[in-house]
Amino acid sequence: MDTRFSDEITGRPGGETITRCYQCGTCASSCPVAKLDSRFNPREIIKLSLLGEKEEILSGDPIWLCCSCYNCQERCPQKVEIADIIYAIRNIAFKKGYIPKIYSEFASALTTEGRIGKVSKFVENKRAGVGLPTLQPTGIEALEKIFAATGFSKLSQKKEETQ
Amino acid sequence: MDQVQVGVFLSDGGNQLTKILDYNAITEFVKKVAGVVFVARGSEFWRGQGLQTMVDAIREGKVNRVVVAETLPKLSEVKIANAIEDAGLNHYLMEFIDLKDHCASPHQKTPSEATEKAKAMLLGAIERAKLLEPLEKLEFPALKSSLVVGGGIAGMQTAIDLADFGFEVSLIEKEPFLGGLAAQAGRFFPTDDCAICIQSPSSDIKTITHTSRKCVYRSGFTEIPNLNILTNSRVVAVEGVPGNYKVTVEKTPRYVDEDKCVQCDLCTAVCPVEVPDEHNARLRTRKAIYINVPHVHPPTYVIDGSVCKFHDCAKCVDICPTKAVDLDQRSEKVTMSVGSIIVATGFKEFNSSAIKEYHYGEYPDVVTNLELARMIDGFGPTGGVVVRPSNMKPAKKIVMIQCVGSRDQRYKPYCSSICCMISIKHATLIKSAYPNSDITICYIDIRTTGREHEYYYEKAREMGIKFVKGRPTEILRDPEKGKLIVDVEDALLSRFLELEADLVVLAPAMIPADGAKKLAEIIGIETEEDGFFKEYNAKLRPTETKLKGVYIAGGATFPKDAPTTSLHAHSAAMKAVKFLHTGKIVKDQRTAVINEDYCGDCEFCPVTCPYGAITLEQKDGEHFVAKVSDLLCEGCGICVGTCPQNAIELRHCRTDQMQAQMKALMSINGTSKPLVLAICCSECGHAAVDSSGMAKMEYPANVRVMKVPCVGILQVHQFLDAFKAGAQGVMVVGCKIDGCHYEVGSQKTEKKVELTKILLKEYGVEPERLEMLNMVFIEGDKFAEAAQMMTERLEKLGSLQTFGGS
Ligand SMILES: Cc1cc2nc3c(=O)[nH]c(=O)nc-3n(C[C@H](O)[C@H](O)[C@H](O)COP(=O)(O)OP(=O)(O)OC[C@H]3O[C@@H](n4cnc5c(N)ncnc54)[C@H](O)[C@@H]3O)c2cc1C
Ligand code: SF4
Ligand code: SF4
Ligand code: SF4
Ligand code: SF4
Repeated sequence: MDTRFSDEITGRPGGETITRCYQCGTCASSCPVAKLDSRFNPREIIKLSLLGEKEEILSGDPIWLCCSCYNCQERCPQKVEIADIIYAIRNIAFKKGYIPKIYSEFASALTTEGRIGKVSKFVENKRAGVGLPTLQPTGIEALEKIFAATGFSKLSQKKEETQ
Repeated sequence: MDQVQVGVFLSDGGNQLTKILDYNAITEFVKKVAGVVFVARGSEFWRGQGLQTMVDAIREGKVNRVVVAETLPKLSEVKIANAIEDAGLNHYLMEFIDLKDHCASPHQKTPSEATEKAKAMLLGAIERAKLLEPLEKLEFPALKSSLVVGGGIAGMQTAIDLADFGFEVSLIEKEPFLGGLAAQAGRFFPTDDCAICIQSPSSDIKTITHTSRKCVYRSGFTEIPNLNILTNSRVVAVEGVPGNYKVTVEKTPRYVDEDKCVQCDLCTAVCPVEVPDEHNARLRTRKAIYINVPHVHPPTYVIDGSVCKFHDCAKCVDICPTKAVDLDQRSEKVTMSVGSIIVATGFKEFNSSAIKEYHYGEYPDVVTNLELARMIDGFGPTGGVVVRPSNMKPAKKIVMIQCVGSRDQRYKPYCSSICCMISIKHATLIKSAYPNSDITICYIDIRTTGREHEYYYEKAREMGIKFVKGRPTEILRDPEKGKLIVDVEDALLSRFLELEADLVVLAPAMIPADGAKKLAEIIGIETEEDGFFKEYNAKLRPTETKLKGVYIAGGATFPKDAPTTSLHAHSAAMKAVKFLHTGKIVKDQRTAVINEDYCGDCEFCPVTCPYGAITLEQKDGEHFVAKVSDLLCEGCGICVGTCPQNAIELRHCRTDQMQAQMKALMSINGTSKPLVLAICCSECGHAAVDSSGMAKMEYPANVRVMKVPCVGILQVHQFLDAFKAGAQGVMVVGCKIDGCHYEVGSQKTEKKVELTKILLKEYGVEPERLEMLNMVFIEGDKFAEAAQMMTERLEKLGSLQTFGGS
């Protein structure tokens, strides 16, 4: 248990509103993911974070399941920025090296190809079918600058080491 | 003016202070001060022989100014003031200091320094006393009459109390009928009795016991001779002063004569205009001529002028057997003079349609608590049957949703405090009438805090009412069956429920009555950010407003249940009686006075005065000068501290008096440390100094205390004066910013202190020499610590050269 975990979250952009939550469950009943996957419940993520269950939150799957639809945030009567809080927690988790495989794949695709996913043949054909031009390789110079400035490159390296 | 003859009365607290202070030296010192003609030393001067000595000296004409150094300050100051008044000396001619808590106790480890400080304190008091002047007692006429605005249970109760007391009372109600929410609620928790039941007035000759209570419609209260009830009326203007307000009320026409209507109901049968009945949840229609329910008061039909066809129809005129209908009635303005005004305008339900996902106003089977109350009421539109408005068939499955708009940062952040109980009441009433009904209450927290209230909750569970902890995200409607589905998470089980419902009942937030803000403006009182009327101080002055003679009762200050409303109403009535019952308002002339020669055309003080006591008046046909109302002025001095022309003085705390005291306090040091002047407000600031002494907390004797009514009186030049007088450091001790007894004094002075710091810097003086502190009584430790730290800081800074001292 880390009693300062909620301070850590409120100290991050997007995480400021977490302490307002009074556990009404509006977010959970608004959440399309929660209704399909019992591992995920935004209200529970907030409660566990407020209780200081840092390890459980950071190391677990749930925080990565949010699909960022913002339904919860739209309806929360306490103006808790739930989806943004989940982002803030993900960032803390990322820093600690807790990164699900798919995200590290995104990260390496981004650093090497400038896109988070490879463009498959299927996609190319589909594009051609609706008259869109073939996708050109993107330059990653600009992205690299951003990665360096934000510390992203270092973080993703660190994570590669830990994995 | 008479020759000033100061008598000094030095109490050593039954010899206890002599262990620390050298009383012989002090007495010798005082005797030599110019103007002092009489010095007495004793163990106490606030009672017994000591007090007699003082009284005799006054009676015998030996002294006409009194300086008292006592040891039991708060209690003794009042006693002595009363005694010297009785002896024929105006009590404003007394200066009081406390050698125990302000000197001996905090400086017990440095007795010789304490003795020197005691001399300085006495000298300060004597110099100030020499400049004191007597203040008159003022009397203002006050009318023993009241206007009560709002005819709900709060307004009715207040009106009954005041009328019972013999006041002339006018009760005005904007609707055609009295009762407010109580007229719609049916039954009231926690007694489950009729909502419209009120206490009978003592003038009701049919009910002479104190247990008597009656329905509004048969209560003798409407017959009290000194109570005038005006329905369909609103306040349009208020002028005048406390004790004597002139009020203009606009009465819109009823079109039916209250003295003639016999409630035969023939008119409604012929009236061709049919509109939804708002009073009855729009579940039935009413005619243009109508009453809400049979037991209304006044027992007279009314015509809704917004829909009536008037002379194009006039059927009601023809049929009325008593010729009560008068289609030509016009609005009339009624003026009245009253000593006090009581605002009892209540509250209403928030418009739930703002919360789109609940579809109120769109799905007919989503209703509010008040609408449900109309269905439960046997006199209501459904005769007591709870129905689905979409098909008027009985509703079996009912889901209630709590906190609709309340506790919601997007709408009303506060808890409306009564809706949990209202919903539980409704659920139990329905369940007892229809045991097969299936009722679920979706809540965030259940709040049942009054006597008997938790029992209601318990009873509801016992009856099988279901409780789901969770705030639904949405109400859906099955397009085929028309059933409603409430989508909610049971947060205790982390399980998603889709509750089917025939009827969904919302518990909307309670918000101020329409027009509350406007009424506040007309009367000149304040509202809170949420729009409810502002109580002057919820703990100390409930039901009072900042304006004397204006009170607030019932739900107008915040949503309340009926018992609390009643209590509040009695309180407001009592306050009005207390204020007016002697027929006059008596107060000391502890007020501000304007020097018209200096005052010139600015508007600072009228804007600054927290009590609206200053107005601008034309002088010589061109210039405006400020004028202080002795009735409204509270004597804080905030205007003095604001006036750029130094044109205002406070009669009981003049600038020359302050300067004389300051100089005296700084004229004797007796310690090796730099002198500090602590200017304290006479409220929390001074009390904090008291408490540091009472708790025997130590701080150095170079710190000297001077009292002002409110730190708001201080101006930049006064801080500079203190340095000129010899202070090396200045502490300003006021109330907490939001706890200032005069509202804005601390806040304004904090800014002036900041400004002075900038100035000091310009002069090359370290700004740390000036400090503002905000304290309450129990923070004596903070005062002692701050005094110590200021001293240490000044020692490091070294001696102040710039102002030279004097
Ligand atoms: C649905 C519901 C159920 C309730 N059930 C219970 C219960 O079971 N038990 C309980 O203890 N409490 C209950 N309450 C609370 C109770 O109704 C209130 O405590 C009480 O009625 C408040 O009385 P009031 O006189 O302060 O305000 P109101 O009843 O609101 O009366 C105010 C009056 O002032 C009039 N008015 C407003 N503005 C003006 C104006 N500018 N000029 C002239 N007149 C004006 C209004 O028309 C109204 O008649 C319930 C409330 C609601 C809404
Ligand atoms: S909707 Fe808001 S207040 Fe309610 S549980 Fe979710 S985050 Fe907390
Ligand atoms: S005059 Fe007006 S109230 Fe009377 S019957 Fe006609 S429409 Fe109705
Ligand atoms: S009383 Fe109950 S329903 Fe009303 S706002 Fe408070 S918690 Fe919500
Ligand atoms: S002393 Fe205070 S109350 Fe009196 S006029 Fe000045 S600011 Fe107003």
